[in-house]
Amino acid sequence: MPPTPLPTLLSSSELSYLHTSLSLSPPIRPDARSPTSFRPLVAETDLLPTANGSARLCFADGTEAIVGVKAEVERTGVVGKKVDLRDSGVEEDIEMGDGDDKTVGSGKVGGEDRWLEVTVDIPGQRDDDAMVVFLGQMIFEGLVADGEFRGRLVVNERWHWRVFVDILLLSAPLTYPLPLLSLTTHLALLSTHLPAPVAGLGKDDDPLFNDDWDAAFPLYPSAYSKSRAKASIARPPITLLVISVGDNIFFDPSHAELAVADAVIAVTIASSTSENRNDGELSLLAIRTIDPPSRLSSLAAEVGQAGEDGAWKPKKGGMSRSVLRKMVGMCVEKGGVGQEVLGGLEGFT
Amino acid sequence: MPFTISVPAPSIPIIHNGPSDSDSADSEGDIDMGRPSKRAKLSTKSIVTPGETVTDDPQWMRGHGTYTSPLTSAIVSSVSGTLQKTNKLLSINPLRARYTPEIGDLVVGRIVEVQTKRWKVDLSAPLLAHLPLSAINLPGGILRKRTTTDELAIRSFFSEGDLLVAEVQSLYQDGAASLHTRSLKYGKLRNGVFLAVSGTGGGAGVVRARRQVWTVHTGNGGGEVDVVLGVNGYIWICKHSGGELVEGKGGAQVSITRIEDAVGESMYSNRNDKIGSATRREIARLAGVVRALVEGGVRVDEEMVMRGYEASLGGEDMEDDDEDGGGESAEYLGGEKGKRIVERALAAVHAARG
Repeated sequence: MPPTPLPTLLSSSELSYLHTSLSLSPPIRPDARSPTSFRPLVAETDLLPTANGSARLCFADGTEAIVGVKAEVERTGVVGKKVDLRDSGVEEDIEMGDGDDKTVGSGKVGGEDRWLEVTVDIPGQRDDDAMVVFLGQMIFEGLVADGEFRGRLVVNERWHWRVFVDILLLSAPLTYPLPLLSLTTHLALLSTHLPAPVAGLGKDDDPLFNDDWDAAFPLYPSAYSKSRAKASIARPPITLLVISVGDNIFFDPSHAELAVADAVIAVTIASSTSENRNDGELSLLAIRTIDPPSRLSSLAAEVGQAGEDGAWKPKKGGMSRSVLRKMVGMCVEKGGVGQEVLGGLEGFT
Repeated sequence: MPFTISVPAPSIPIIHNGPSDSDSADSEGDIDMGRPSKRAKLSTKSIVTPGETVTDDPQWMRGHGTYTSPLTSAIVSSVSGTLQKTNKLLSINPLRARYTPEIGDLVVGRIVEVQTKRWKVDLSAPLLAHLPLSAINLPGGILRKRTTTDELAIRSFFSEGDLLVAEVQSLYQDGAASLHTRSLKYGKLRNGVFLAVSGTGGGAGVVRARRQVWTVHTGNGGGEVDVVLGVNGYIWICKHSGGELVEGKGGAQVSITRIEDAVGESMYSNRNDKIGSATRREIARLAGVVRALVEGGVRVDEEMVMRGYEASLGGEDMEDDDEDGGGESAEYLGGEKGKRIVERALAAVHAARG
């Protein structure tokens, strides 16, 4: 659906070699990884001194992103006064249109989706570029999808936290950057701390915060922390890029693998809230199909004739339901790739 | 382990051009050049950055990577790299640079543009190289003048995205290269994978060597695999087919009068041969070795690749039981495993040299 960053320029014999290797059973990836393994990542958190939480993540292909999370206290507008809020210029540029629609209904749950703002910045691309907007929206939707996140932002009835997530892609988008940005956002949110309130949690008081940074509580408390009654297993969602070639499923595709993918999907998953499921499965928040770059790189391949081992031609038509089921299953199942990634990210912070 | 995150490696402490160094600095912070020596000397102690004054002593001559302003006699670095002194000549070896073509280099390139009488080829050099239509072999080895019919059929030889191995024939005034493929060693590349690493010009990468193309007799039943190391840092690893791509093995010995026997009609075909999965696995392993070498900051040449490949073959049986759960992930040569292979390859090279 979103535009692909770079048209891949590969010769048709390279494409054919890649596609045949990947559709073998067992498949052979060009770097000899197993289908579910990820290339080693390099990450650090809490690197921006003025942000509430931040993370930097480098993928093995050289792409790199920094995410900063900032929070500020804001007066909660009652339903009648909401217009005033908007006039005062609090609205941001990448505010997603549908955030406003949910406001009225979600007010009861305690919190509004508007309190979260996600901006994506990719060097050399306009803020209103289709891909930038799409990436921002994907991450925003994932974060608010569980409906629980906004509840964390409530300070008391009249005040709430407003969270700004600023995502900056440092490198050129070599491959489709959504997983990188999503994983970096995840790490940044895990490292985010909000100042602890010391007074003013009553109905009509103005809140007062502890200026001791060590006393700050994490936005996503660890499942094992005893510090806060609200400790839960809720984690920020992650988005994984999954490709299929023939009947084989691959995670963390490289640039060359994306070029020959039959189907590319972005799967957004999060650890499920405990009351729904106890079997350890992750909950699936979103699936987006992405136009595989193979449709673009096909031009070179059209030269040769289609043959068993000759020139390769990209698959026409959609993906089969069994492949889609398998892809999603591998992401969400107990002990699956999704859990492994979430566990790895959790263990890092 | 399918998913690993590590913290960034601690940065190597920067050695400033301080008075404690042997290259002592004077009060302006400039390096005192000391007495010039007869041999070329490479200062590994410090790194100069663009715009940094290397010296303002008028006795030195400026070399590559430096410039002077007409007002002063100071020599200023234009790249970041290490200082090299040859008698009275100062030059800076850049840490990282694009490939600068030289006549006779064996390069791997990718066609990016097709024009009426020539192709434009990406060599990761500052400028695109030219490959004139007259500088290729016609299929069937026919020797004749190129006609407009050939110009019309130019895409049947090479089209956009195609990879080729060629030699730099001449250089234009602006530094752009002109290539030729008029030898059986050169031509279109098939049956393999492409890798781009940094080429000659500083740091890790492909270095100019005696042999840039050789055949590996791979283990695990992989058969013969050709490795082509382009001087420009582009690498092609493919299944060995016939004697075409290898120096001194049939290919180079065909005389010009019998060229039509060797240059088949299929030399510009895009079809791959049948490649077994064992061969594909070994090609992937060789590619992994090259990647590990580059990540480890080691030069890439025949010796290092072969030592690294032997290390990756030998190390597998004893390592995969304790950490990897076996299977294919044991073949992935990234991260820690790559580092071990580079260490072993380096140790093997040192041992071989005594």
